[in-house]
Amino acid sequence: MCGALLVRNPKGGLDRPIALYSTALILLLLANIFPFLTLEIGGRQEITTLFGASQAMYNAGMGELAVVVFLTSILAPALMMTSSLYVLLAVRFRKSLPGVRVLLSWIGHLEPWVMLDVFMLGVLVAFVKLGNMATMYTGNSLYAFMGLIVVFAAASSSFDTHLLWHKLGIPGRKT
Amino acid sequence: MRARDVGLASCHTCGLLLHLPASGHTHCPRCGTPMHMRKPNSLNNTWALLIAAIIAYLPANLYPVMTVISFGKSQSDTIMSGVIYLFAHGDWPLGLIVFIASVLVPLLKMLALLYLLITVQKKSHRRRLQRTRLYRVVELVGRWSMVDIFVVALLAALVNVGAVATIEPGAGAIAFSAVVILTMFAAMNFDPRLIWDYQGEDNG
Ligand SMILES: [Zn+2]
Repeated sequence: MCGALLVRNPKGGLDRPIALYSTALILLLLANIFPFLTLEIGGRQEITTLFGASQAMYNAGMGELAVVVFLTSILAPALMMTSSLYVLLAVRFRKSLPGVRVLLSWIGHLEPWVMLDVFMLGVLVAFVKLGNMATMYTGNSLYAFMGLIVVFAAASSSFDTHLLWHKLGIPGRKT
Repeated sequence: MRARDVGLASCHTCGLLLHLPASGHTHCPRCGTPMHMRKPNSLNNTWALLIAAIIAYLPANLYPVMTVISFGKSQSDTIMSGVIYLFAHGDWPLGLIVFIASVLVPLLKMLALLYLLITVQKKSHRRRLQRTRLYRVVELVGRWSMVDIFVVALLAALVNVGAVATIEPGAGAIAFSAVVILTMFAAMNFDPRLIWDYQGEDNG
């Protein structure tokens, strides 16, 4: 009546989200090890990494904001990808691993806190704001990050929570 | 007819549809989440979080979100002056996006939640479908307001060249991120199924 999706027919395999989430995890790693952005001002260069954004908040005495930025740009995506992969692999290979149900019920709560796309908009705005006073260079991690946004979006849309619950079934009952 | 009328409820975690006992309280057999006909204390929690967000909204807009210190001169930026800067420097499409994300979205989101809470409490049965859609939009777009916090973090990380230029985050940034986070929690606590209750006297 209200248009919400109550039940969807379980279809589609698990191999696609497994491949996509694995790729996303590699991209997140790459996004964290190379320079993200470089700024040149008055003959001096300032290189920042993805983690550098949280670090700058911490150094400025704003621990709360450092936590918010770290959580939304690195930790929540990392947790969501690893727990999704864990659940997917457990279901795919029919292994009863500990914590699968707990993790699967938490993935939905994590999703709103994954703000990779919002962070990218922030990068664009920062580019424009600093364009007048300094020269900016993109780093390899920024490209990995852009790839991550695309792959992550594809991964989370191919991740069918209802299908996974359906395959896990009700404990003690044969499905 | 609502699922509630026939004693059915779907688990908000795994979506399993099952019969609830008369007490209306059990645990989902599939994922272990406590099950209710409606989220408990939904209205109270949403009100509390929303009021906290409205209070934080004032300092979020009055205090600077960042201060640029360049060659000994310092200049502070609020959320609004940051948007005006983007417009003034020719990049109006981006200025418009940031204006929507950081000014319109938080404001409209708080108004929308206020409207949803009041109409549910007045047991209104008007525009139910529109209100449910409004709720879904509110839930979806709120996170984009965080863009300003990321801009400040990136600028502070990049512009740290000692005497030439430094950018420091300001107190407004803390208040602003509090508004975003509180409204996100408020939206999560609101149970859209409440919109569809209280219709016995209406069309049934
Ligand atoms: Zn459940």
